[in-house]
Amino acid sequence: MKEQVVCKTNDIEPGDMKAANFGKQNVLVCRTLDGEFYAFLNQCTHQGAPLDKGMICGATTDDSQPGDYHYCRKGEIIRCPWHGREFDIKNEGRMLANPDKRLPSYKVRVENEEVIVYK
Amino acid sequence: MAKNQIRIVDTDIHETAQYKDILKYLDEPFKHYIQNCGWIQEKHMPYTQPTVAGVNRADAIVPDGRQAGSDLSFMQEQLLDDIGHEYGILTSALDPSPSSMHGWYEMATALASAYNDWQIEEWLEKDDRLYGSVHIAAQDRDAAIKEIERVGSHPKMVQVLLPIDDILWGDPFYHPIFEAAEKHNLMIGMHHNEPPVYYGKWPRYFIEWHTLIPTAHMKQITNMIFNGVFDKFPNLGLMMIEGGFTWVPHIMWKMDQQYRDLRHEVPWLKRKPSDIFKQQIRVTTQPAEELTKQEFNSLIEQMGTDDILCFSTDYPHWDYDSPTRALPNMDPERKKKIFAENARAFYPKLP
Ligand code: FES
Repeated sequence: MKEQVVCKTNDIEPGDMKAANFGKQNVLVCRTLDGEFYAFLNQCTHQGAPLDKGMICGATTDDSQPGDYHYCRKGEIIRCPWHGREFDIKNEGRMLANPDKRLPSYKVRVENEEVIVYK
Repeated sequence: MAKNQIRIVDTDIHETAQYKDILKYLDEPFKHYIQNCGWIQEKHMPYTQPTVAGVNRADAIVPDGRQAGSDLSFMQEQLLDDIGHEYGILTSALDPSPSSMHGWYEMATALASAYNDWQIEEWLEKDDRLYGSVHIAAQDRDAAIKEIERVGSHPKMVQVLLPIDDILWGDPFYHPIFEAAEKHNLMIGMHHNEPPVYYGKWPRYFIEWHTLIPTAHMKQITNMIFNGVFDKFPNLGLMMIEGGFTWVPHIMWKMDQQYRDLRHEVPWLKRKPSDIFKQQIRVTTQPAEELTKQEFNSLIEQMGTDDILCFSTDYPHWDYDSPTRALPNMDPERKKKIFAENARAFYPKLP
């Protein structure tokens, strides 16, 4: 099984993300505010934008009503740099507006301060 | 785009100027108001654009931090060279172009001239692939015509970007502008800008406004066709930019059906509205809805021709369409038309 060290843990602050190479694939390594790491294919499922040029942010929730926004899940949502589609890092990279679509993901583990991506 | 050998003609690319970029092309006292008094156009859009980087693709911001679309070499690298454009038509309708300015006609006129000179010198004359749009401030119609006369014969100006106002374009007020455009082999381009599409005001949410943009295109087309513009100016063509295209069959059917019932009111029409559309109106594809191949082909069938659609990216804006991803696969002949030949056939000045 293929695996590769993609960066050091302190290369990515909680709430941040970074592109890295995993073999021939460009992956997006994300770190949520609780310190956990996740990795996805660094390419939007819509038209292929490079997701590392977007941002990690929170989400307005479906508890919101017109006139009353609820915003939470800070650091857990990837937002595409082009058309703004939102992908849920902690829910298998599923798209908020259409959870049937998700970003292809990779497994990640941390060993000795190193972030390892594997299939 | 390796698997796609068609060199595309992109019908909507947004170059961007800062006010300071056009100062050297501005006469006094207008230059003074901008340079010393901090004058800028008043804008009304009430929304912060709810995307990652406002109006732009977040990855199109120039690496040195300048605004997306403001640097030719970065545009070459990210768009023209990368995709392998054959031609691109510049259509920026954002200020300092006066495309959505009302009032102070003299300033608007001066801004249009300065913008055109900047566009010619900084873009059209620096990259063979780029063609341009003549910016005018139509509220002073005679000055607008003078501007068309002044820069319209430039070999790389292919259309007049006519600002949207509260007089629809079929009105006789605009006919002298069409006459001037026709004289210089320029088409008319409509790119939406500030004017709202919602009963003269803005809807509550950006998503509503952005959804309804094509209604602005439909209004203008209906008005121009039933007011006889296209028979009066048989060489005039209208390029409807950035409204998508799934509305085209609807407005064709609606106008034809209405014409059969109400011809009595508009006896000057010599052709069926949908025939006028097919002959003189073209539509850029972006922002494309996600259609399957079957849905796309059926839509073209409903239009009755695949001559109408002209591919556009809208680079560097947030709702950019990728040439390899935005439209479904289609047969090579059709693809060639939509990605290049329809636009080439439409603009007489495009080689
Ligand atoms: S490419 Fe990501 S939202 Fe369109």
